[in-house]
Amino acid sequence: MLALIAPAALVLVLFQIVPILTGLNASFRDWTLYDPKRTWVGLANYMHVLRDSEFLEIVLPNTFGFMIASVVCSLLLGLLIALMLNRRFPGRWLVQTLVLLPLMVAPVIAAIMIRWMFNDQFGVVNAVLEALGIAPISWLTQRWTAFLVILLTDVWLWTPWFALILLAGLQSLPPEPFEAAQIDAAGAWRTFRYITLPMLRPVIVVCVVIRSIDAFRTFDIVWTISGGGPARATELFSIYAYVESFQFLNLARGSAAAAIGAVIIVVFAFILYRLLNRLVEASR
Amino acid sequence: MTSIAIAPVRADGFFSALAPRGKAVLLALAALAVCLLFSFPVLWLMLTSLRPGTGVYYVHRGTEFTIDNFHEVLAQEIVLKALFNSFMISTLATVLSLGITATSGYMLSRFKGPIPNAWFSSIYIFRCVPYVAWVLPLYFVTQQLHIFDSYWGLLLPHVAVHICFFSWIMKGFFDGIDPSMEYAAMVDGCSRWGAFWRVAMPAAIPGLTALAILCWLYTWNEFLFALILTAHETPILTVVMAQFVHELGMEWHLMSATAVIALVPALIVTLFGQRYVIRGLRV
Repeated sequence: MLALIAPAALVLVLFQIVPILTGLNASFRDWTLYDPKRTWVGLANYMHVLRDSEFLEIVLPNTFGFMIASVVCSLLLGLLIALMLNRRFPGRWLVQTLVLLPLMVAPVIAAIMIRWMFNDQFGVVNAVLEALGIAPISWLTQRWTAFLVILLTDVWLWTPWFALILLAGLQSLPPEPFEAAQIDAAGAWRTFRYITLPMLRPVIVVCVVIRSIDAFRTFDIVWTISGGGPARATELFSIYAYVESFQFLNLARGSAAAAIGAVIIVVFAFILYRLLNRLVEASR
Repeated sequence: MTSIAIAPVRADGFFSALAPRGKAVLLALAALAVCLLFSFPVLWLMLTSLRPGTGVYYVHRGTEFTIDNFHEVLAQEIVLKALFNSFMISTLATVLSLGITATSGYMLSRFKGPIPNAWFSSIYIFRCVPYVAWVLPLYFVTQQLHIFDSYWGLLLPHVAVHICFFSWIMKGFFDGIDPSMEYAAMVDGCSRWGAFWRVAMPAAIPGLTALAILCWLYTWNEFLFALILTAHETPILTVVMAQFVHELGMEWHLMSATAVIALVPALIVTLFGQRYVIRGLRV
C-alpha cells in the first residue's frame, strides 16, 4: 500500500512540503531579504499582518468578493454553455472549439492582451465605446472598473473549464428520467430544475470547491492586468503576500500573510464542502 | 383522432406560439454571442500578430498586413529553443504526473484506514497553500539540489503541483470502477499489482486521457514557475513571450506572433482531444 504512494509522497515532500515549511519557519523570524537576521520573533509578523488595515479592509474583502463573484459567474455561464452544447445542432463542434479557446492560450498572454484592449488611449474597448457615442473610460485607473476588468478576465478564463466538466457530467446522465419527464409532459424548465440539476449536483459541488480554492489564490492575471493598483486597491491576498515579500523585501511578513491566507482557505473550503454536501443530501 | 397523434406531447408554451422557429433562432443567436465572447481576445491576438510593429496602436483602423513578424520571431534562436523546451517539459510532466498519481489515486480509492486518510488530508491541505508562499523557498530548494535552471528543476515542481489535484480526481475515476473484477482477478491468482495494472488501469484509460490533455495544456501555458525556476539555460516559451512586452520595449507584434505560434500545438491537442476529455471526465 505504501509503495503505491511512495513516488508521489517523495516528490510532494521535496518540492512542496519542504518549501512550505521553510516559508513557515521564516514567518516566525525576523527575515528580510536585504538583512536576514533570522532571529526568532514568535507571532510578531502574524500580529502585524492581522492589524494591518490594508489587509483587513481592502485585501480580505477583495479576495472574498472576487472569489464569490468569479465562481458564481463562471458556474452559471459554464452551466448555460454546457446545456447548450449538450443539444445537437449544426456547427456544434465549431462552437465547442471556440468556447474552449481560453484554455489554449497562456493566461499571462491573455492578461497582457486584455490589458492592452482596455488601454484608455489605444484600446479597442474604448474605440468601440467611442463609436457608440459613449465617453471613453479609463478602466485601469479606478478601483471598481479595474476590479471589473480582472473579474471579466477570470470568468473568461475559467468558464470553459466549468463548461467542459459540466458537459462531461451531463453526457454521463442516464436517459431514462428525461424520457419519463417527456412522457409526463414536463416543460424544459421543470425538467432542468427537478431532474438535471439534482443529478448534476455532485459534479457541481466538486467543481465549486476546487475552483473556489484556486480563485482565492489567484495571482498571475491580477499581477499582469493591474499589478494590484491603482494604489493597492485591487490587491488580492496572493498579491499582498508577493508585494510584502518581494517589493518590501520582507520575506517573513509575506510568508506570514501567505500562511494566514492558507489557513483561511483550508477552513473555508472544508465548511463549503460540508455545506454543499449537506445541501445535496437534503435535496434527495 | 388524427389531431392527437400530430400534437406534440410536450407543451412548448408561450414562445413557440409567438414564433414557431423562435427557439432555434434564439439558440443560434446565443451560440453566436458565446463564440464571439470567447474567441474575441484570441482573434485580436491573431490580428495583432499580422500587423507591422507600429500598427498595434491602431489595430482596428489600419489596413496593412504582414507576416514578417513570424519570420522575425522564428529567426530568433531563443524562441526555437523555448518552443522545444516547453514541448519537452509539458510532455515529460504529463507522463510523470500521470504515472505517479495513478497509483496514488488507486490507493486512495481502494484502501481504507489511517494511512489513506492521512494522505488524503495532507494533499487536500497542501493544495490550498498559495503558490506565492512556496515559490521562493522552492527556488532555494532547487539550488540546493543543483537542479536549478534544468529540466528536472522545473519538471519536479510541476509534478508536485499536479499530485494533489490529480490524486483527488483519479480517486473519483477508480471509485467509479467496480472493484469486484479486481477481486475476481486476485482469486484467479493475480497479485494486487497485477489486478491494478491489468484490470483497473485499462478501465480508467478514458479518464487518464482526459487528465493527460488538461495536464499538457496547463504545463504548456504555465508562467510563474517557469519565470522563477529557470534562467538562460532553459528558456520557456511563456516567459520568452512575456519578455517581449516590458517597460522598455513594447514589441506587441512579436509577442502576438509568438503567442500565435504557441497556440498551434495547443489547438491541435484540443481539436483532437476534446472528445476524449468530455468522454473521460465523467467523474
